[in-house]
Amino acid sequence: MKEKIRIFLDTDLLEKYLLGTTSQEETLQVERYIAMYPEVRKTFDELQGNLEAFAKMHALTPPEGLKAKILAVIRAQDSGRRRFRRYAIAASIAAFIFAGSSYFFYNQNQNLQQKNVIVNNKIKNLEADMREQLEDVRNQFIVLNNPNTRKYYMKGNERAQELKAIAYVNPVKKLSYINVQNLPQLPEDQCYQMWAEVNGEMVDMGIIGDFGKNDKLFALPYSDHAMGYITIEPKGGNTAPTVENIVANLKY
Amino acid sequence: MSALLEQHIVELLRERNEKAISLLYDHYGDTLFGVAYKVVRDEELAQDILQESFVKIWRKSDTYDSSKAKLFTWLFRITRNTAIDKLRSSNTKMEKEIQMDVSDVYNLGIESIKPEFLDVRENLEKIEQKYQIVLDALFFQGMTQQEASDELEIPLGTIKSRLKIGLRELRKIYGSTRALLALIISIL
Repeated sequence: MKEKIRIFLDTDLLEKYLLGTTSQEETLQVERYIAMYPEVRKTFDELQGNLEAFAKMHALTPPEGLKAKILAVIRAQDSGRRRFRRYAIAASIAAFIFAGSSYFFYNQNQNLQQKNVIVNNKIKNLEADMREQLEDVRNQFIVLNNPNTRKYYMKGNERAQELKAIAYVNPVKKLSYINVQNLPQLPEDQCYQMWAEVNGEMVDMGIIGDFGKNDKLFALPYSDHAMGYITIEPKGGNTAPTVENIVANLKY
Repeated sequence: MSALLEQHIVELLRERNEKAISLLYDHYGDTLFGVAYKVVRDEELAQDILQESFVKIWRKSDTYDSSKAKLFTWLFRITRNTAIDKLRSSNTKMEKEIQMDVSDVYNLGIESIKPEFLDVRENLEKIEQKYQIVLDALFFQGMTQQEASDELEIPLGTIKSRLKIGLRELRKIYGSTRALLALIISIL
């Protein structure tokens, strides 16, 4: 152990460390020796004392005014740094606010775009609906107003004597409408369904609701020598008409 | 410097109190100026170095670790390194002149010493020049013993023994001042 310390002290590492010229690795080594061996610590402390004493022997009085100059430089640098720090803080806050507001506006923009899409779709749907209905109304008007239009009355058979319907058929425009007016009350689990026989095929025209109340015209597919039927079907409609339940028919 | 004052200065440095620099200048300014001058041999350059060193001391004050080195050792390192950097960046011819002309070191040092350092000069005279040269190579030139042996053309063994004696002589002077200081402190 003694030998190890002696070898260490024989190298110039401690002296180099004293002057701060050791490499990082050497510094760690020296600091380890100082911490581990009181003898090395003592030698280093002595070296430090010697250095101070030797340096003091070479002391020189600096020119007057240098102290004030140095203090002024330090003060200026410090205030510069403080100012920089203040700017840095202000800039950070500004950046933070900017980031926050950007995020907020981005979100808002995203929401508004979504809403815009929804509103646009609604408008499109409404437009399509309106066009469809307008077309329907125009056709109705054409049919009703045309001199070529023939008017057919439809009456219910013995199962629905109150049933009354008027069909308008225009062979020129190839349009037909039916206005079902009086429909006898049915039990809750039954409904009226409209059918049209077109070129030998039965076409489901849908369930007749409260048409009587609305006086609504119901478009029929046009065909030469077509037949219209109204049947009683189970609630919700049927896929094919139940022939024995025909309550009215119409040739047009 | 008393340990108490040193501790006070270190605390002020930690608190970033500018008074620390003022105190450091009052207590170490002369010595550090001497260190800078010893390295560069130019009074104006030494002034720049002292200023630069104090700025570094102020800026790096949080890196000082009192458990690793005395305050003066730390100040000395910064000043000496600053001086060596200045020297390297100024002309190389001048550097060579300084490094080689070791015999000149002693005389110049004495010539520029001011009357108020007479007691210090007396101390310096107590150490024979041949020891001083070795101490100078070690503390100011930062040479290893081998380098000093090569540079001064003195055998390594002689360098070692001269250094030993030089340090002992130095310790005598330094030790007596310390004993005196300890006495004054104990009286106070």
